[in-house]
Amino acid sequence: MFTDFFYMLKAKGLEVSMTEWLTFLEALDKGLADSSFTKFYYLGRMILVKTESDYDKYDFAFQEYYKGIQSEDKLPDKILEWLHADEERDDYDPNKDLYKFNQKRTASEVKRMFNERLTEQNSEHNGGNFWIGTSGGSAFGHSGRNVGGIRVAGTSGMRSAFAVVGEHKYADFRQDRVLSMRQFQVAFRRLRQYSSRLDVAKTELDIDKTIDSTCNQGGILKLEYDKPRKNTVKLLLLFDCGGTMYPFTALCNTLFQAVNKANHFKDVKTYYFHNCIYSHVYKSAECELGDWIKVDEMMKLTDKDYKVIIVGDAAMAPEELYDKTGNYRGPNEGLSGYEWNVFINNFYKKIIWLNPKYHPGFNTAHWMESEKALAELYHMYPLTVDGLKQGIKYLMAPK
Amino acid sequence: MENTFKGTSTYIASPELMQAVDVAIALEKPLLIKGEPGTGKTMLAEAISEALGKKLYIWNIKSTTKAQDGLYTYDTVQRLYDSQFGVEGVDDIAHYIKLGQLGEAFDSEDQVILLIDEIDKADLEFPNDLLWELDKMEFYIHETKKTIKAKTRPIVIITSNAEKELPDAFLRRCIFHYIAFPDREQMTEIVNAHFDKIDENLLKQAMDTFYWIRTIRDVRKKPSTSELIDWLKALMISGIEPERLMKELPYLGVLVKKDEDLNAVRKERA
Repeated sequence: MFTDFFYMLKAKGLEVSMTEWLTFLEALDKGLADSSFTKFYYLGRMILVKTESDYDKYDFAFQEYYKGIQSEDKLPDKILEWLHADEERDDYDPNKDLYKFNQKRTASEVKRMFNERLTEQNSEHNGGNFWIGTSGGSAFGHSGRNVGGIRVAGTSGMRSAFAVVGEHKYADFRQDRVLSMRQFQVAFRRLRQYSSRLDVAKTELDIDKTIDSTCNQGGILKLEYDKPRKNTVKLLLLFDCGGTMYPFTALCNTLFQAVNKANHFKDVKTYYFHNCIYSHVYKSAECELGDWIKVDEMMKLTDKDYKVIIVGDAAMAPEELYDKTGNYRGPNEGLSGYEWNVFINNFYKKIIWLNPKYHPGFNTAHWMESEKALAELYHMYPLTVDGLKQGIKYLMAPK
Repeated sequence: MENTFKGTSTYIASPELMQAVDVAIALEKPLLIKGEPGTGKTMLAEAISEALGKKLYIWNIKSTTKAQDGLYTYDTVQRLYDSQFGVEGVDDIAHYIKLGQLGEAFDSEDQVILLIDEIDKADLEFPNDLLWELDKMEFYIHETKKTIKAKTRPIVIITSNAEKELPDAFLRRCIFHYIAFPDREQMTEIVNAHFDKIDENLLKQAMDTFYWIRTIRDVRKKPSTSELIDWLKALMISGIEPERLMKELPYLGVLVKKDEDLNAVRKERA
């Protein structure tokens, strides 16, 4: 019964397991749907779908499979209408001219890609360039910087089960900042190095071993100690707060909060720079002149074992990077920006650069010369969840 | 079905949620509830317990909670201590086995409700450690070689704030429901369930302000249902004129708790 529906769900990218499907059939067998179509819809959803970000896929599969049931059913047209809703998205990105990715795609091509993504995508994606999500360069989703894409949203006034389907209430959950934050947090969990594996003194009372030893001695107390199990990773964050970083404020904020919430690091220090790192780093994101410390001083406050994460778009004119007077709003102190970067790179053992605009291999254009140079100097990764994971892998890898 | 959940006088549940509760009970599967903070996830278990007249066991999960804690703990230190002074009953291990909330729920004579609150607070692997126990509704106490088995399967409600991703194997066994943030209509119902009499104009103005604040992009911690109710209480006690709400935003601190959020609201207002 309904076996085709099972495959339809799979085709729409929902990973429905056999256990869940059998549970669903059992529920139907017990009459839990009450021969109500709406209840049937909810019953399937609560058993087969386990995250609200997949509600949308379920809706599409349900729509397609049961479309014959509703007589005044015009949903396929409706969907196409929603997919036309690109004009909505132009209202609030002041910098949209800067980021016209992929805008030459035709409407039908975009639609086809959207359907493909909807099928393949199986988790929330924010800050990326491919999946449906937010704050990224993908053609699909919200708050991004792609002009010719599809904004995931929809309204409708249909009745019964299809009313719920048609409303697409859950499409916007992919917008949820908390979700993208969690993805970052999960990634940051890997940034751990326990002192129990390092060569340190045994200073912590080991209760279990103490009990064992005491029992073995017939109740005469014998204390056992072990190495403390604490994360020894120290982190230095350097954020670019230059003008071209403005569109990525929300994304950087999420990353920053994820680091702060992770609170398992031994120490976290954060400094800011404007466009490029020169002789000074700023103490606050406003980058006010004078409110800074020298790079030498930063190195004294930290040590070479700090894991360094630089976040920036590396977008600057070549003279800003290479000229000994390239810093247009502060001192250079005799070295060019590039030399300062080399200086920093030589000091710390592990540095990664996370770039919200990074497309590996696509930095051959003349105005991307600086990015190319910095990408060759540092280990540069895109500022996405995957990029962060890769970067952390590098940070944790033994030298 | 003898167990049908209809909400209670103070807990307003959507039809889908009620259906989810019924299905979970009928299929004897844990009900996993997810949703924004303040959408009444924890209160649901209390409401079910009240509506069905069953005892409620609450297991609050913290970041340090281990699966074992919910089953039982063996107080070895107490036993060691007692043994040194020759206290009676030291030779009986069962004396030092203390059941956790899950254990208590299994051991109960009647059917009970078990709430596992904020399961995502614990370690990433935590839910996997409970798979067998929740499936079979039994566990084995090594020390006494006894099996604790539920006489009647408890109704298990699990809540999550989506702080961490839950493992697939665990999810497959659950009935899932996402509580969406209540819209105005539902919110009115919820508010009416909490107040005997509320001035209609005050409620309207307060709701306008409340939903307006929730739309401000820069507000990080959006006010939730419980904050709205507290705010309404404060407004009713002070007897402030409803028309002034939007303009003056009195007692804003009740709705919005963070400094930067307060500033964001005031900036938007100005």
